Amino acid sequence: MADGVASLLALDVPQNGGYMVAAYIVAAVILAGYALSLYRRSRNR
Amino acid sequence: MTLAQRGRWVTLVGLILLAGVYVRALAFTPTEATQGLAQKIYYIHVPAAVWAEMSMIFIGLASVFFLFLKDPRLDRFAEASAQVGVIFALVVLTTGPIWGKPIWGTWWTWDARLTLTLLLFFIYLGYLVLRGAITDPGLRARYAAVIGICGLVLVPFIHFSVLMFRTLHPQPIVLKPSAPSLPGVMLVTLLFSFGVFTILYIGFVMQTYAIAVANETQVDG
Repeated sequence: MADGVASLLALDVPQNGGYMVAAYIVAAVILAGYALSLYRRSRNR
Repeated sequence: MTLAQRGRWVTLVGLILLAGVYVRALAFTPTEATQGLAQKIYYIHVPAAVWAEMSMIFIGLASVFFLFLKDPRLDRFAEASAQVGVIFALVVLTTGPIWGKPIWGTWWTWDARLTLTLLLFFIYLGYLVLRGAITDPGLRARYAAVIGICGLVLVPFIHFSVLMFRTLHPQPIVLKPSAPSLPGVMLVTLLFSFGVFTILYIGFVMQTYAIAVANETQVDG
């Protein structure tokens, strides 16, 4: 019974984890990419 | 240790702690019941938005003081802050639509908050393009200061746009007169992320400032 209720509640939560993963990757790429570009700019002078 | 080297270390610490934010958000922060995992975008979207606006506030204040004091360090700081602010604005404008699609059913809408944030991004771009287009340092600093002050005026409208207009974007749940309407564990994750974005802002600005100083020395030499 408890398992059934838990699985019903789990079904109610939207399955949209892919959007979260995409956003986290995009943010990491932008910030790490900018850090890398700054590193290269300061090393090149 | 030079300013650029110190900035590099601060940035490295910020990036490592950003990984910590991801771990905390994924493993140690509960999933919101109605929005699901997409709500966790909040922990990077909001701190990036706050720092995109804070960067413009700093540019505007530095610009006002520059017009009175004519201190080139203020102009250099404003330029560094603009280069970093545009990066944070880019994070906001990419993570926002990725969050909006599963929750609102659309990537973008011409809502007041979204449109004004896009305008902020264009002001950053305009500020940086203007700086690149003018060779005379005095003229460049004065014209850039005017755009910086315009950007400063825009920031309160962005923050209060959700209260002034009927918008799809939710109203503030932390930066508001009453207590934050966010469970404690989520608030801790948000504040941790805000701290990490603060470290990243400081590290980025230290490096861009050092690069600007090096460029000026090269030109003078």
